[in-house]
Order: sequence, then structure tokens, then C-alpha cells
Amino acid sequence: MKTTWLSAMIFAVLTAGVRAEDIVVIVNPAAKPVSKAQVADIYLGRSAELTPIDQTVGSSIYVQFYQKATGRDAAQVKAIWSRILFTGRGQPPKQLPDSAAVKKSVAANPNAVGYIEKSAVDATVKVALPLD
Amino acid sequence: MKAAPLREALQRRLGRIAEPQILFPLIAVVLLAAMWIATAGIIRLKHTEAEHDAALLSRELLGTYEAQVVRVLREIDQTLNLVKFWHERNAMRGTLSELKDRGLLPPDLVFSVSIADRDGTIVESTRPLGGESVADQDYFRKQRDGGAILVGKLPRGATGDGKLLFSKRLNGPKGDFDGVVMVAVDAAFFVSGYDAAKLGEHGVLGILGTDGIVRVRRSGESMFSGDALDYASVLPTPDDADAVPPVSRSSWDGEWRWSTAREIYGFPLAILVGLAQEEQLAAVRKDAVIYLSWAAAGSVGIILLMAVLGRMSWQLAQSRLRESESKLEHARRVEYLAYHDGLTGLPNRSMFSKLLAQRISEARRYDKQLAVAFLDLDRFKQINDTLGHEAGDQLLVEVAARLQGCVRDSDTVARLGGDEFVVLLPEMEDGKQAIVVAQKILAVIGKAFTLIGHEFRVTASIGISVYPQDGQDEQTLTKNADIAMYQAKAEGKNNFQFYSEKLNANSLERLTLESSLRHALERNEFRLYYQAKRDMRSGRIAGMEALLRWEHPDLGTVAPMQFIPVAEDTGLIVPIGKWVLKTACLQSAAWQKEGLPPLSVAVNMTARQFLDEYLLQDLAAILKDTGMNPNLLEIELSESLLIHDVETTLRILTGIKLLGVRIAVDDFGTGYSSLATLQRFPLDTVKIDRSFIGELVGPSEDAALADAVIAMGKSLSLTVIAQGVETKEQAEFLRAHACDELQGFYFNRPLPAYQFAQLMRAQTADISYVGTRAGLLNPQL
Repeated sequence: MKTTWLSAMIFAVLTAGVRAEDIVVIVNPAAKPVSKAQVADIYLGRSAELTPIDQTVGSSIYVQFYQKATGRDAAQVKAIWSRILFTGRGQPPKQLPDSAAVKKSVAANPNAVGYIEKSAVDATVKVALPLD
Repeated sequence: MKAAPLREALQRRLGRIAEPQILFPLIAVVLLAAMWIATAGIIRLKHTEAEHDAALLSRELLGTYEAQVVRVLREIDQTLNLVKFWHERNAMRGTLSELKDRGLLPPDLVFSVSIADRDGTIVESTRPLGGESVADQDYFRKQRDGGAILVGKLPRGATGDGKLLFSKRLNGPKGDFDGVVMVAVDAAFFVSGYDAAKLGEHGVLGILGTDGIVRVRRSGESMFSGDALDYASVLPTPDDADAVPPVSRSSWDGEWRWSTAREIYGFPLAILVGLAQEEQLAAVRKDAVIYLSWAAAGSVGIILLMAVLGRMSWQLAQSRLRESESKLEHARRVEYLAYHDGLTGLPNRSMFSKLLAQRISEARRYDKQLAVAFLDLDRFKQINDTLGHEAGDQLLVEVAARLQGCVRDSDTVARLGGDEFVVLLPEMEDGKQAIVVAQKILAVIGKAFTLIGHEFRVTASIGISVYPQDGQDEQTLTKNADIAMYQAKAEGKNNFQFYSEKLNANSLERLTLESSLRHALERNEFRLYYQAKRDMRSGRIAGMEALLRWEHPDLGTVAPMQFIPVAEDTGLIVPIGKWVLKTACLQSAAWQKEGLPPLSVAVNMTARQFLDEYLLQDLAAILKDTGMNPNLLEIELSESLLIHDVETTLRILTGIKLLGVRIAVDDFGTGYSSLATLQRFPLDTVKIDRSFIGELVGPSEDAALADAVIAMGKSLSLTVIAQGVETKEQAEFLRAHACDELQGFYFNRPLPAYQFAQLMRAQTADISYVGTRAGLLNPQL
């Protein structure tokens, strides 16, 4: 019995990390919705129309977001931003530790854009684009 | 003085160049050389340009890279200084979080900042902490002892995911060692500015420490760390800092590059930029390949064009050559024809003259004799007339062959024209040689010829003249041989004669005769005389014979015996004979108009006339034109002529007979013709030859012969006329033997037309008078 419980626990932990939760791109409720292409441009430093807010580099949501929104993995994203940074053409997005912080920052800044789990969405922000 | 031959030599050379087999290859070589030189020049130019561009590009890239690296390094240095300042001032934990919250630290994405305490333990970091210690690290020890910025190294072979560590010493309140602040940067970050569009896949972007160790370098997507370089040699001396960078071979990948490096002010680092030669020149190489292909295609084109032009020119030259050869051939042919007889292929008169002249001069020089033998076929004209020209030509060809067959190779046979041939015998020892050859010739000509299926025999007359006695030059020798040949003809044909002075005189006479005979008709020098034929019983004029006389302005009256053979030989007899016939017919018609009694007129006809192909036509035309009664016209032909070719004779006689004209046989009894042959001919009259009449008064056997001849004529139921009756005795004899008519000096000499008319008028008036007059007249004349 004890082992069964333990196995279930381990399974739950693993799937929590592996199973992709639906991610949504959020903006300030006052802002206009954005397209997927716009999101990709903003997060890869090709457009500055909105201020992107990032999650922790290498986190599960970070990896999934970039995969879905830009089709690139973390290393590629890092290389892109490294180049932008090195050549002095821009600064990488500000990183915030969790979705709550992101939500808070977006709610406070009408020009901000961020991404959080769908489940974390509330009235303070507006879903601009669901990623699935 | 020397200029002329030099110029000639030059012209000769230039002339040779103009020959197609030299000219076109030369043009091809010049064009090819020009094209390839131009191509090589263009390629070289492009190459130089590309090298220059690459060098400039590498310097430009170096400048950009330097600016970027310097900015990043300053940022790092500032971060180190900021942390150091904050830490030393506050001397408490939480420096980094404090600074981060204020946004004073560089982005986490590439930078991480850490602080180690004086024991080397990491106490603060922008990354998660794991309690690591750096106490044993080289930089830690160095920072404990010094204070400058230190740049860490990466392990050799790292491929870009390593971190480059920048560190600075932290001081305590009293300046004692209080730890180290560190900024770790992704090594790849320093080469993230690698622009493949400019640097290609094999360019180099890198950072190098003053220690000669490469911190990181990147070529394309691959990064590498830790190679050692000779720092001093990599960096250019300040003098040539602006110069075009040299191409050098990289020690790590063997690539040739334009490499340039620059030291970063204030840091123990230098930057490195390299452009791969192969890559930078790839476009030029590609262009070069294209240019070379074009040049190769052009070369092929030029060679083909020149080959075609050369070939055409060669063909032109060949055809010109052929044309000139054919012209030459034609000229040779013309010359051959000019000097040879077309029919027999023998040398002609011109050639013979030349040869003869040549031989004469040789004979003169070596004191030798030579002979010229003229040869004329005796009956050629008749053969030509009766058998046609083709048979005549065939005969000539055969004669030519036979002649050539019986002389030596050194002798020359030539054809002078018609049936005249000449044989030149050079280098004769004596005249006997010419005799031998002449006999040989007569023998081979005398053999039978087969022409158009019939066998024929011809004979030849040969005249020979000998150098030097018969002439010293070509013309004299030729003329004298000709004279000797006429003599041979006169001697009865089928023989040869040597020239002599006497011959010359005779022949000259003959030649004169011949030439004046040609004009006699035009000048109206011929006259007709008429001799009466008398009836044996009544003594009245029964008819007449028209006799031709030639009244030559210089020679006086020329007897027929003298000029008829010449006219016969030359063919003039035909127009003369026609004139005779016409004149006789006109005269007869005129007399009848005057009211004189219609008497028959006999006209003699020679062999040539008789065999003339237009005879019957001419005769018919004359009868029609003159209105002559054909029954009154009598043609006299010699017996020998009749029996020569019985079939032909019969055909012609029948034709004459059909016109209504009477036919008489002249000189009857001399031709040895058989009665059977004579019976086949449509004859009307026979005239007994004067030779029988002349003998009548002699021995009795002659009288018997004449009697037999008369009997023979009678047996053919013909009118028998005696010719050449000159005495009363002869007339008496003939009357006794029942001859029909008489003709001769005894009764009447030949008279001009007006006298003959008087004779006829007299007879009409008084028969007995005429009879006695005839008897009286004769002895006087």
C-alpha cells in the first residue's frame, strides 16, 4: 500500500512537469489583442511595439511558450537575444519568477505583454492569444 | 643598296603569309592569343578587386567587432566596479539582490554575477547557490594578491558553452582582501555577432588573451576555445595597422585567411577577425570559370571559323589550280590540234613545215641528205564522190596507218590535206633509200582496202625531192616534191618520180594552166565548136558533136587534150561540163527557132561529170531551162568509163534515158567490153574508135577487125558512127560495110556556131552543093 501511494506520488510529480498545461498570452485589459506573429516578433526582438515580460529562463512554461509561439528552443532563443544584446540593438525581456508576478506586471502596464498558464488567468488581464 | 633585297625578302615573307594554309592559322593564333590574354587579364583584375574588397571588409568587420567587444567589456567592468563599490561601502550581504532589484545588473540571459568571501566560498550569486568554493581557483589567488580585472580561461577544446569569467578583488574597510566579485559570461556571447553574410562559413571571429590563449573563436556555427597563438605575431605592428591584411594559413584548420587582430585598450585581450580566402574569392572563381568557358567556347568558334574559312580558301585555291590545269590542258589540246590532223592524228602541214625546217638545218650541219616524198592517192576524189565522205575518211585513216607502218620511227608521215600525204626521210645516205621507201609505199597502198563492205584498190603517185640538190630550203623542197608528184601522175599514176629541172618546167606550165582554168569560165573564155555527122548514104548532115575549145588570152586556143585532164583532176570539169551542156542546148534551140532543121547534138561527158551526184538534176534543169528537145541531145561516154562499175553506170544511164536523152558510146572497141555487158545498157549509138578507122587502108586483117566492130554495133541494134574519117578510101570502106554515119575531117572540121549555121543553111538550099563542097573542102584543111 505504501509503495503504491509512493508510486502515485512520483507519477503525479513527473506528469506535472511533463504534461503541458495550456498557455495563454496576456495583455493589459486596455490593450488590443495581438496575433501569434506579433507575439513571436516581440519575443525575438524583432518588434518593440509592446514590452515583453518573460518567465524564468529554462522553466517549463518558458520552454513551452517559445516552442509554441516562435517554434524555437531555448538555446536558439538565447542565441538570438545574445546577438541582439551583443550588437547593442536591444535588451532581452525582463524575467519575472512566476505567473503571478507576470500577471501583476501586465495588469500594471498597458504596453506589457506576457504569458501564463490558462488556469492562472483572471480579470486583471486579458487573454490576447491562446497557445495550444 | 641593301634595302632592295631586304624589302624583297620581306615581301616574299608577306606573300607567304597571304597563303591560306599560313594566313588562317596565323589569324586563329592571333585571335586566340588576344582572347586568352584578355580573359586572363580580366580574371586577374577581378581577383585583385576581390582581394582588395576582402581586405577592406576584414578591416571594417574588425572595427565593428572592436566597438561591440569594448562596449560589452566596459559594461562588465562597470558591473564589477558597481558590485565592488556597493559591497565595500555597505559591507553586508544582499548586494546583488539589492542591485538587481534596482535593475543595475546585466541581463540574466548571458551574464551571471557572483561574490566569493575571503575564504573563496560563493556567498552571493544571481544564479542559484550551491555553496561552491573558488578558493583553489587561480584567479582567486591572483585577486587575493593583486587588484586588476582578470579574465579567465576556458578549458581547451570547449565548444562555446563555457563561461568566461571576469573577476575583481573586493577590499575590506582597511584595504584587506575581502573576497572576489565575478561576472561569468557565456563565451558564445562574445562571438554571437558572427555574421555569416559577411564572414561566410569559414571566417573567424575571436577573442584572444594577451597570454596568447584564444578565449573563444567562431567559424560558422562552430566555436572553439583554448588554442595557443603567438600573440606578438598575430598583432600587426602599429605602422601597418591600416595596411591591407596579409593572407596567412591558419594553424588550426589549414584555411588561408586575411586575418587581422587588434588589442583592446584597458583589457588584457585582443580581437581577431579573419576572412577565408577561398570563400571570399568563390564568386570570382566562379566568374573565372565562366570567363574561361566563354574563352574556350570562343576558341572553338574561332578555330572552327578559321577551319571553315581555311577550307573554303583551300578549295578555292584547288579549284583555281584545277581551272588553270584545265586551261593548260585545253591549250595543249589546241596546240595539238594546231599541229595535227584531226582525222588521222598525223602531223599537219604546219607541223611538217617546222619539222622539215628543223631537219634541213640538222642535215646542213651534219652534211647529210634528206628526202621529201609527196604522195597523192590517184582515185581518191572518185571514191569520195561515189562512196561518200565517210568511206573517204576511212580510206585516209587506213592509208595513214599503212604509211606509218612502212617507215622508220625517225621518219615522219604528215597529212597536208585532202588525199595529200608527205613522208620526210631524214638522214639519208643516198637516193636509193628513198626508192626503197617509195616502192614500199606503193606496195602497201596497192593492197586492197575494205570500205563499207566492199573491196577497193587505189594507187598512189609519189614525187620525191632530195636535200641538198633539189632545194636548200623547206619551201623549195616541198614545191619540187609536189612537181615530181604531178609528173608521176602524168606518167600514168601508181609510180614515183624524182624531181628534175625538166620536170619543173612542165609542171610550171601545168600550174599556170590550172590557175587560169579556174578563171576561164568567169572570163567567158570557152567556146563550143560543132562538127557535123553525115549520113552515110545521103551525105546530108545527120547531126553534130559539140566540141569544147578554150581561147586563152595569152596561149591562144588550147586543145581539150591539154586542159581536160587538169579540169578533171581539179574538179573544174563539173561546172565546165554544165556550161557545155547548157550552151549546146541553147544553141540548138536557137537554130530551130531560126527555122533550121532539128538536128541531134552530141556532148562529151567525162568520168567525173558522169559520176557527179547532181548530174541528173542538172541535166533535167538544163533541158527545162533551154527548152531543148531531149531526144535531140546525145551524151557521149567513153567505153572504159561504162564498164568501170557496171551497177552504178547502169543506174545513171537509166536516169539519163528516163529524161529522154540519147546515149552514145565513144571510142567503141577500145574498152574490151563484153557484148553481154553492153547489152545491159540502154545505149543508142556506138562510135567506132578512130584507131580502127586509121588502119582501114592497111593490111586486110585490120579491115576485118573494123568490120567485126561494126557488126557488133549492128548486132546491138544501135546506130553505128565512124569517127575520125579523114580519107575518101576510109569513107568508101565504111559505106560498103553499112556504117550509119560518118564523122571526121574528111567531111567537116569542127566549126564555130555561126559557120556551122551557114553550113546548115547551105544544105537546106542545095543538097548537091553541100555534098561536093564537103568533098572539096577536106583536102585543103
